[in-house]
Amino acid sequence: MLSRLRESRFKIITMLFGLVLAAFIVALLIGVVTHTTPQALITSLLSGEIQFAIRLSLITSVISTLFCIIVSVPAAYALARYNFRGKVLLNTILDIPLALPPLVAGVGLLILFGTTSFGKGLAEAGIKFIFTPQGIVLAQFFVNMPFMFRILRSTFQGINPRYEYVAQTLGSTEAEAFWRVTLPMSKNGLMAGSIITWCRGIGEFGAALMVAGATRMQTETLPISLYLNMSSGELPMAIAAATILIVISLVSLFIFEKFSGFAHVF
Amino acid sequence: MVRIENISKNLGEFFLKDTSLDVADGDYLMILGPTGAGKTILLETIAGIYPPDKGKVYLNGRDITRLPPRQRNIGMVYQDYMLFPHLNVEKNIRYGLRSKKISKEETAQKVDELANLLGVSHLLHRYPGTLSGGEQQRIAIARALIMGPEVLLLDEPLSALDSETRTKLREELRRIHSFTHTTMIHVTHSFDEAFLLGSQMAIMNNGEIVQVGEPSEVFRKPNCKFVAEFLGVTNVFRGESVINNGLAYINVNELKVASATTRDGQVYASIRPEDILISLGPIESSARNSFQGEIQDISDAGTIVRITVDVGVPLVAAITRRSLLDMGLKQGMEVFLTFKAVDVHVF
Repeated sequence: MLSRLRESRFKIITMLFGLVLAAFIVALLIGVVTHTTPQALITSLLSGEIQFAIRLSLITSVISTLFCIIVSVPAAYALARYNFRGKVLLNTILDIPLALPPLVAGVGLLILFGTTSFGKGLAEAGIKFIFTPQGIVLAQFFVNMPFMFRILRSTFQGINPRYEYVAQTLGSTEAEAFWRVTLPMSKNGLMAGSIITWCRGIGEFGAALMVAGATRMQTETLPISLYLNMSSGELPMAIAAATILIVISLVSLFIFEKFSGFAHVF
Repeated sequence: MVRIENISKNLGEFFLKDTSLDVADGDYLMILGPTGAGKTILLETIAGIYPPDKGKVYLNGRDITRLPPRQRNIGMVYQDYMLFPHLNVEKNIRYGLRSKKISKEETAQKVDELANLLGVSHLLHRYPGTLSGGEQQRIAIARALIMGPEVLLLDEPLSALDSETRTKLREELRRIHSFTHTTMIHVTHSFDEAFLLGSQMAIMNNGEIVQVGEPSEVFRKPNCKFVAEFLGVTNVFRGESVINNGLAYINVNELKVASATTRDGQVYASIRPEDILISLGPIESSARNSFQGEIQDISDAGTIVRITVDVGVPLVAAITRRSLLDMGLKQGMEVFLTFKAVDVHVF
C-alpha cells in the first residue's frame, strides 16, 4: 500500500513537470498572438509588406525544399545501401550543417559565393546569390539539407534491399527498381522530410540574413520581416509575421506527426 | 541447365568458398544446410544480385556471370514474400511484364492464367498487407512465374507459414513443377520438404556444397561426417507400402517392414536408432518387426554406441556403451533387431 502510494506520488510529480512545460509553451504562443488587437493584426496581415514576406517565404522555402529532395534522394540512397571507403566520414560531413550555427553557415556561404572566383564566376554567369532571393534559397538549402538527408537515409535503410533484388529479377534495371519500388515505398519518409525541411525553410533566419541581407520588400521573408519590424518598433507588423510563423509551425508539426507516425502502414 | 563453377563470394558474415554445382533441366534441387552455410547468397549469386569474386555461372551453356539479373530469366521467391506493398495483387503479379513489351490483352490474360494457377484470382484487387502469409507467398510465386523463368529460386518459401498452409503450398509447388517443368532450386530447413519435393538434394556447409545427390541417396550414404550429423537421420528407406488388415508392409529391398502408417504406394520410412532393440537371440514381444543380421560396424561416440547391422539393408541401432560391454557385441556377430510398427516413421 505504502509503495503504491509512493509510486503514484512519483507519477504525479513527473506529470507535473510535463504540464508546467506545456503551460509555458502555450502561454508563450498565446502571448504573441494576443499581443495586439485583432483589427491591428488583420490590417498588418493584409499590408503589402507582410503579403510580400508571405509570398517570398513560400516561394523560397518550396524551391529550397525541392533542391533538398533532388540532392538528398540519391545521396541518402547511396549512404543507406552501399558500403565504401570513407562512408563514415562522408556521413559525418553531411551532418555538419546540422550542428553548425546558421550564422556561421551564412558567413561561409557569403565568402564562398561572394569572394571566391567560383562565386564570382557564377555571378558573372547570371547566378547571383549575394543579397538576392536566390541567396535565401541557397541558405535554406544548405542549413536544412541534413534534415531531408537524414530522414531519407533512415527511410531507405528501413526498406529491405530484397524488394529491389526481386524487382531486378523481374526485368527492372537498378534505377527502375528504385523508381518503381523503393521510392514509392519511401513515400511517408519523403513527405515527413519535405514537411520538416519546408517548415524550417520558412523559419530560416541566420544564414539567410548573412547571404541575402535584410532589405525591406526585397529579401524580406517572414522571419526577416519580424526582425526588421521589431527593430523599427512596428509591433503589429512584427506580431503579424510571428503569428503566421506560429500557424505554419503548428500545421506542419501536425502533418509531420501524421506521416512519420504511419511510416510503415500501407 | 544451371552450372556453377568454383564460385567464391565474400559478404563478411556470409560467404561462398570455391563451390561448384550442376543442376539439370527440370530438376527440383533442394538445398539444405545450417544457418550461415551460404544458402541464400548462393541463390542470390545465381540470380545475379551481386557478382561473384571468382568463378562462373552458366545457364544452358551460356556464361551469365556478368549479366544483370533482369537479363538472366531467373525468378526469385523469398521467405518473406517481398511483395511490393504499394501495389495491389494484380499489379504485383504483372510487375515484370512491363519489361516484356507485350499488349494489354496479353498481359491481362497472363495475369489471369497465373492467378488461376496459384488460386489467387479472388485477391487481385487486394493489397499485400491485408493478406495471409500463404496468400502472399502464392502471389510471390505467381509474380516470378509470369516471367516464364528458366530457373526458379526459392529461399525457404514455406518457412514462415503455419503447418497446414505449408503442407498445402508444398503440394502446390510440386504440382507447379510437374506442370511447368521449370528448374527449381529450393532452400529449406525441412527434411520432409527435401524428400517430398526434391529430385536432387545438396547439402551446404561453410560456404561450400559438400554433397549432391538424390535425397534418399544422400540420406543413406552421407559422404562425410558433417552430412551424416547434419541430417541426423539414419535408417531412411524408400519402398512400396501395401496396407493389409490395418497394418502397412513396406517392401524395402525384399525386406517387409511393418508400419502403423495409413499411406500406401511409394513412401519413405525411417526408424530412429534408439527405437531399435538388439538381442543375441530371437525374442517374443508385441513388436511387429524382427530381423536377423550381421554386425557390420560399431561406432563409438561416447556413452552412446551406434551399431550397424546388415539385415538386407543396413540398419543402425543405438545402445549404451554399458549394453555393448554386457552383451559382448563384436563386428561380424549375428544379432536380432526388433522394433515396433509405430516406431516406423513414414513420409
